[in-house]
Amino acid sequence: MTMAATSHDTSVETAAHSTRKQPDRTAFLLAPGVLWMLLFLVAPILMMVYVSFWTQTTFKIEPTLTLKSWVAFFSSETYLGALWTTIRIWLIVLVSTLLVGYPAALFVGLFVKNKTLSTALLVLCVIPFWTSFLIRVLAWRPMLGKEGAINMILMKIGVITQPIEVLLFSELSVIIGMTQIYCVFMVGPIAFMLGRIEPSVIEAAQDLGAGFWRIFRTIILPLSMPGVVVGAIFVSVMVLGEFATSAALSGRKVNLLGNIIVTQVGSLKWAFAAVAGVVLTILMGAVVAALLRVVDLRKEL
Amino acid sequence: MSSVLQLKNVHKAFSGVPALAGVDAALSENSYVSLLGPSGSGKTTLLRVIAGFEQPDGGEILFAGQRIDGVPPHERGIGFVFQNFALFPHLSVAQNIAFGLENRALDPVADTKAVRAKVRDMVGLVGLTGLEDRAVTQISGGQKQRVALARTLVTEPSMVLLDEPLGALDANLRTRMRGELRTIRERCGVTFLHVTGSETEALAMGDTVLVLDGGRIAQSADAGTLYSRPASADVARFLNCYNIFPGAISGDAFESPVGRLALGGARQTSGKPAYAIRYDRVAIRPRDAAAAGDEVRIEASFVASEYSGAAINSFFTLDDGRVFEVETHLSHAAPEAFEEKARYALVWKREDALVFD
Repeated sequence: MTMAATSHDTSVETAAHSTRKQPDRTAFLLAPGVLWMLLFLVAPILMMVYVSFWTQTTFKIEPTLTLKSWVAFFSSETYLGALWTTIRIWLIVLVSTLLVGYPAALFVGLFVKNKTLSTALLVLCVIPFWTSFLIRVLAWRPMLGKEGAINMILMKIGVITQPIEVLLFSELSVIIGMTQIYCVFMVGPIAFMLGRIEPSVIEAAQDLGAGFWRIFRTIILPLSMPGVVVGAIFVSVMVLGEFATSAALSGRKVNLLGNIIVTQVGSLKWAFAAVAGVVLTILMGAVVAALLRVVDLRKEL
Repeated sequence: MSSVLQLKNVHKAFSGVPALAGVDAALSENSYVSLLGPSGSGKTTLLRVIAGFEQPDGGEILFAGQRIDGVPPHERGIGFVFQNFALFPHLSVAQNIAFGLENRALDPVADTKAVRAKVRDMVGLVGLTGLEDRAVTQISGGQKQRVALARTLVTEPSMVLLDEPLGALDANLRTRMRGELRTIRERCGVTFLHVTGSETEALAMGDTVLVLDGGRIAQSADAGTLYSRPASADVARFLNCYNIFPGAISGDAFESPVGRLALGGARQTSGKPAYAIRYDRVAIRPRDAAAAGDEVRIEASFVASEYSGAAINSFFTLDDGRVFEVETHLSHAAPEAFEEKARYALVWKREDALVFD
């Protein structure tokens, strides 16, 4: 910085000088990121929108603009069903990760006073990520299957006589799997926000006569909301774009928009895949925009 | 006056290290008590034990005649003003002040109008009128201090604990807030227990000053008595206005490292022999001046002096390397120029010295 001026009039001069200099440096620092995003994010999205209007025949695709793929998407029960399933599973997983994640975050971020221990606990949450995604997903099969661990244990202790079949290859198994995989993305941001609450603030509320639930509702929950929103954005973006968990755990019974895209691309139906892609992108954008309205993150973080 | 808070032999240790080693004290109703102690003396621990944030290992705490050790903090009815204010960052000034009234477990005020009226009165009392809807992140340090105090006082506790309440403020504001704290307390008629590490603050604020040393109350007295008659050499040291010599009494004199100092003043039993003379009771004379019969005289070399407006503090080195400080009030005499490294006679009246045995 050339801002350290020695006298009054040179300070005015250097200030003017540095504002003139600022844009160059900003552009220079931003260029790599902007270039990367333009080439590999903005251009492909525009291409995807463009391709969604191309003419698709069984064996080839032509750049003749048509609405046929869009009409086909919105008049097909399969595709609309996939859209609805995607939204439903996203909402259920969002709620279940919050229900499982918030208490865990409360424990790690607030009740564990020792900073080292709370960091260690957060690292423990990430341990499942030391294995590959597919292994994590497939590991649920021997747990949930008809002759899987859960059914066997329940039958051994006599809670059930018939194995519960709905555990695997159903929407339930997809929800269980996704909740487990994405929960940590909810725990992290919430625990971070809770860890930033000064202990004396909670002590002050106690001293003013409030009991635990009052303090939770009036102090802890509002102060952790930015964490909830960030966590919800992480989980939403990942769940909405999911296809692997549902493919592995539902036995192709649960079709998400992601699965539709994979199948269409597999059979070279680029226009259909592009339509599904555009719909998914709009959905994600809307979800993120809605979540950002809940809390002014720029103010809170 | 009856006492609002009584501490009987309160003990507390953190992983084996004692922080409070048997604190006994009684705080009278409707008074301003300051608690003076050097850092590490256990003052914050004592405050947190009284508020209920820490459990004592032993002893009794009686508040308004009831034992409260074991009662959770939110049921004690003792206000606490935190050093860093600990305001609720997501609430406005008015919402911060209303928090206790609306959310306390015992007897919450559900009527919004009643809450608003009480908050308005309190805002007026602490001088925050016009700032009610500001976010607490957008007000100055002094204003935060007032919000913290108002938030506690509005719940009408019969005692308020203040943990170094002026520590986070700049010097100018600190002096002004001292007066305001006293005025506010008088208007509310509650007992304030004000913890501080600054002897001037403790003396200026407290009707009673408690001195905490090594986890025990070393002295409990009014400011005047404390200043002129500290109970031990350690208390005298915290007051930062005494030259203290170690040594022992032998016959009619005190054997100190700088020679025999004739006795003649008050003698107190404190367990640790020491000889103390106040900075402002010492006269600086030329080396050849003789001492009168009732005076004590030692010699020292002048090092430097520090001018502070109304007084000048001169520093001398004694023969054993000890630093000796003399405070001369300039209303009595014009500042004299002393020569660096020259030797002078330091003289004081025998009866002005405090002798501990």
